[in-house]
Amino acid sequence: MSRFFKGSDSESESSSTDEEINIPQKPAVTAKAFQFSDDEEETRRVVRSAKDKRFEELRTIIKQLRNKKNIKDMCAILSDFENLGKAFEKAKKVVDKEGVPRFYVKILVELDDFINECWEDRDGRKQMSKNNAKGLTTLRQKLKKYNRDFEQDIILYREDPDVGDEDEGDEDGEDEASEEEGEEEVSVPTFKKAEPKPQTLDDGEDSDEYWNMSSGEESSSSEEEGPAEFTAAYFLKKESDKKEVKKKPKKEKEKRSIKKDENEENDEGGEWEEVTKGMPAPIVEKPKMFAKDTEVNHEAVCKKLVEIVSARGKKATDRNEQIELLKELLTIAETNNLGAGIAIKVRFNIVAAIFDYNSNIATCMRPEMWEMCLSYVTALLDLLTSNPDIIASEHVHDESENLQTTPYRIRGCVLTVVERMDEEFIKMLQACDAHSTEYVERLKDEKTIYEIIKRLQEYLEDRATTEEICRIYLHRIEHTYYKCDFSLAKENVEEDSEKLMDRLCKYIYAKDVTDRLRTRAILCHIYHHALHDRWFQARDLMLMSHLQDTIHHSDVPTQLLYNRTMVQLGLCSFRCGFTKDAHNALVDIQSGGRAKELLAQGLLLQRQHERTPEQEKIEKRRLLPYHMHINLELLECVYLVSAMLMEIPYMAAHEMDARRRMISKNFHHVLRMAERQTLTGPPESMREHVVAASRAMKTGDWKACKNFVINEKMNTKVWNLFPHPDRVRDMITSKIQEESLRTYLFTYSSVYDSLSLHTLAEMFELEKQVVHSTISKMIINEELMASLDEPTQCVIMHRTEPTRLQSLALQLSEKVGNLVENNERITEIKQGNLFYQKGNRDRDQMYQQNQQNWNRRQNRQQQRAY
Amino acid sequence: MAEFDLTTRMGQYLDRHLVFPLLEFLSVKELYDEKEMLKGKLELLSNTNMVDFAMDVHKNLYPDQDVPNSLKEKRGHVVMELKQLQMETDLITKIFEDPEVIRQMQSSRDGRQLSDFLYKEHGFKAEMVETLYNYAKFQYECGNYSGAAEYLYFVRILLPPNDRSYLDTLWGKLASEILMQNWETALEDLNRLKEVIDANTFSSALLSLQQRTWLVHWSLFVFFNHPKGRDLIIDMFLYQQLYLNAIQTVCPHILRYLTTAVITNKARRRTVLKDLVKVIQQESYTYKDPITEFVECLYVHFDFDGAQQKLRECESVLINDFFLVACLEDFIENARLLIFETFCRIHECISINMLAQKLNMTPDDAERWIVNLIRNARLDAKIDSKLGHVVMGALAMSPYQQVIEKTKNLAFRSQVLAMTLEKKMNMKDKEAVGWGGHE
Repeated sequence: MSRFFKGSDSESESSSTDEEINIPQKPAVTAKAFQFSDDEEETRRVVRSAKDKRFEELRTIIKQLRNKKNIKDMCAILSDFENLGKAFEKAKKVVDKEGVPRFYVKILVELDDFINECWEDRDGRKQMSKNNAKGLTTLRQKLKKYNRDFEQDIILYREDPDVGDEDEGDEDGEDEASEEEGEEEVSVPTFKKAEPKPQTLDDGEDSDEYWNMSSGEESSSSEEEGPAEFTAAYFLKKESDKKEVKKKPKKEKEKRSIKKDENEENDEGGEWEEVTKGMPAPIVEKPKMFAKDTEVNHEAVCKKLVEIVSARGKKATDRNEQIELLKELLTIAETNNLGAGIAIKVRFNIVAAIFDYNSNIATCMRPEMWEMCLSYVTALLDLLTSNPDIIASEHVHDESENLQTTPYRIRGCVLTVVERMDEEFIKMLQACDAHSTEYVERLKDEKTIYEIIKRLQEYLEDRATTEEICRIYLHRIEHTYYKCDFSLAKENVEEDSEKLMDRLCKYIYAKDVTDRLRTRAILCHIYHHALHDRWFQARDLMLMSHLQDTIHHSDVPTQLLYNRTMVQLGLCSFRCGFTKDAHNALVDIQSGGRAKELLAQGLLLQRQHERTPEQEKIEKRRLLPYHMHINLELLECVYLVSAMLMEIPYMAAHEMDARRRMISKNFHHVLRMAERQTLTGPPESMREHVVAASRAMKTGDWKACKNFVINEKMNTKVWNLFPHPDRVRDMITSKIQEESLRTYLFTYSSVYDSLSLHTLAEMFELEKQVVHSTISKMIINEELMASLDEPTQCVIMHRTEPTRLQSLALQLSEKVGNLVENNERITEIKQGNLFYQKGNRDRDQMYQQNQQNWNRRQNRQQQRAY
Repeated sequence: MAEFDLTTRMGQYLDRHLVFPLLEFLSVKELYDEKEMLKGKLELLSNTNMVDFAMDVHKNLYPDQDVPNSLKEKRGHVVMELKQLQMETDLITKIFEDPEVIRQMQSSRDGRQLSDFLYKEHGFKAEMVETLYNYAKFQYECGNYSGAAEYLYFVRILLPPNDRSYLDTLWGKLASEILMQNWETALEDLNRLKEVIDANTFSSALLSLQQRTWLVHWSLFVFFNHPKGRDLIIDMFLYQQLYLNAIQTVCPHILRYLTTAVITNKARRRTVLKDLVKVIQQESYTYKDPITEFVECLYVHFDFDGAQQKLRECESVLINDFFLVACLEDFIENARLLIFETFCRIHECISINMLAQKLNMTPDDAERWIVNLIRNARLDAKIDSKLGHVVMGALAMSPYQQVIEKTKNLAFRSQVLAMTLEKKMNMKDKEAVGWGGHE
């Protein structure tokens, strides 16, 4: 027996055996390693005394209480607590004699903490069932009241909580010493249940070992003191760590038994020796995996791995610790040259553990974690590519895994890992402020990710199923499509991204079976075409895919992508000079004033209906990272300018029209808003510029119009955002000239008898050809009542503009025509024979009523006449 | 003019045998090097059984060389095979020579009924159809198109429409009829084939697109030779969405033929042109040639000089196109008319000199042409010979006329309305009387 134990024994003997008295004497000596507070063991000591009996009773209840606490069953805790109170009353006598037992105070403190914690956690409280919530409230009140009686003790305890632990440990140690070896196995599981102190995995390992050691001690009784002291010191050092880490779950105990089996497999002597040898170097920072002498082979590592991993996903598992453990295992495996199979397997698990680190899907990884993750994924890929004989796939079953010999078979899908990594990346970008350096730092990783995806694609191309290839292709596409390929601008470089997109997308079109991937690939393809001004290809692809009809049935992210694509298509057609198409493509996005939301570039404040927090969370998760955004001001400006180019001539042409329809509601809205202003200063914002330009165009003043649309301010705000701003500006200028000419002709044609083509060409600084063709088009479309006089190069107005009387006559004739038409329609509807038979009687009644009314009215008129 | 030659683009959608006429035509036009042409022809012949023809070509190509042995050997093989097939089909041909059978064949519409009859009367077996099919195919390969057409006719009648080779039979029949220049029957076959394709018995959309593309190309032979072809081509290519889509996605060069057909079609031109212009504009980035550009110039840009320029180019393109060479005159005449018509609609006063220049005519010719147009009442205009101007009649309608136009038929319509109402009232009265009787 160790001296320490002996001492405690003697102590207890002298003071009628109790632990409390031990505490002050030898607090530091007690080993946490022995902290198996064991109730079962106590049952064996029933014989001792009345005090023990009572205390034991208390302990049993406490044990139950802790179990319930673990599962947060408030009602059960409440009833247990009441029982505890009663039991304590029973033990009153003993307590009076001995003082309040520490473990009792301890459970009170724990319970108090626990209740407070639960109380604080509002979300958790909300999720509780009604019963539980009620239980919690009652418990809280009762406990408060109850604890008042023990205030002193609690304060004392709080000041020095560890003592209590050691006390228990001490006691356990005592038990340990007195128990037989055979009992160990029983004690291990129970230890778990009762263990209230936070305990880490490695902690467990170590204590395990120590525990084994202590069992060994029984056989050899010479130098026991050394180890005991060491263990205590060792654990004290780790104390602070332990407080941080969370509690281990119950499941741990299974693992421990596994571990124990393993240890038992190894010869006892080795085990025992390991510990004693380890003694001279007391500070061991890294968690120990294996006994020193154990042969580290595949089997052992695998076992260890399974052991570590099985804790995954448990509530109380310390994730950080788990990662560290896995890393350690990896180094062990590598130093022992266990081959690539094991290395890959462990890496898979490390990456998975890193991904597990955050339990909340809304939050993102810490940057250190992320970097670690990147490096591990890269390493994993390195290994996989350098060992082509490894089959790593999710289709490999656990049983058929082969980690030892060369045709390795490993369960694990690197594609899924990379997909997950990609997701995390987006999350990280979403979490940082788009204008901070942090964002830029993160964005630098995009390159790495792209490289990883590229390499993975190369790796998968010759071994994966088409489905998987489609998936990785789509990932590559999604990392490519929104990037403007600047090699194109240099012109001498072969345009890579276009061909790349073409190849990848076509593969997906042909091979994909899920339809979702295909849709996304098509949209990305169109987007990429549009981004590089390949308007016709983009348009044809959009029309051929018939996506407009079906997009409403797809999932939200795909719809967002569709919106983005349409916007890009609109911008592209604008750059290429098809303003009408640009307007049509953008009108849906722009009309609601919700472009920001539709493009997932930010949340709008909604006045009418508040979002629920969950909805907001979901929407936030959908937001695109900043570097993929489309400039909203550019979008609006393009839309307004193309609307202006269509709407102003149209308005001029249909000024007299009674029933004029609007081409663009949004544009009209902007105009109206501007008109409402009492004072209009020089334009400042983009919108004001466009409005001013529209006003100028209305009078046919193309130069003013141009100057409002294209100037320094607008250049920096909008036009310079295009890849070839000069081309766009030229295009806009010529469009403005043409449309101003049209507007001018519509507005002032009634004033002229004839107009010279030359003058017009000069006025609008257009070529005569263009003027001629523009006017011809108007004549052919019967927009302009005129004809050309070829020999003199003049436009001759036909003076068909009707006078006021004439136009009224025309309107009247039109209305009369409508009247007749309406009558015809009505008779047509009522002609059905069915109607006659059914509605006859009703109608007759109505008829009679009408007649009566009629008579009455007539009477009245007669009266009035009199 | 080789840049506008479409033979290479068309060739890939045509049968080997159908390409021969195109090549013959090209060698007459001497657009390409004669040697190259012959080499191409030989290449083309290598996969057919027309060994004698191949030998001829070879002799032409290399006058100083002997005919290679491989060809001679092939000839032997072909003759042997022919004899064997002939033997196999001998029995069948005898059956079909029987006048009773022919009569039966013409009277019975159903293939099964006929084969039942043949089975009973002549011991005809189902495998025989296949033998016959193979024989017809061989005949076709040898260039004996009339024989092939004849046998394929029998095969088509006897085969059930869902048979695997039914479609092939139809294609073979169409090709044979085209090569024999039986346009009437070819048109019938074409329509039959189109029905089958449109019924869409193919598994994938891609396959039916392919079939349609082929049909579009093959039909050119028929449409530009059949008297009613110019109408039919518009109906099929422009107004059947599926075929228009096929043209747009796979073979926009067909637009040349469509455009030509539209321009030369006097009766329907006006209504169709708008749709055509839309299609041409849409596809202008993938396909352009003087003919489509002519339309674009005239109807999109109203650039008459450009149109004139293009018209000149069109001429040379048409001369060198196998299908269009026949309608050259027609095209030029109609194109001119189009230019003039458009011109008149825009202008009020045109000088004859300018017009002559625009229409690619001498001033005298132009004047005569215009006079003819005016006399035929196709143009409301007068010639001012002092200034050398053509002055158009007033086009605009006065408001007075407009009001008249709008209210002209109102009286009639109201009258009709009143009559119907009266009729109804009468009916109602009758019913009311009837009711009264009941009550």
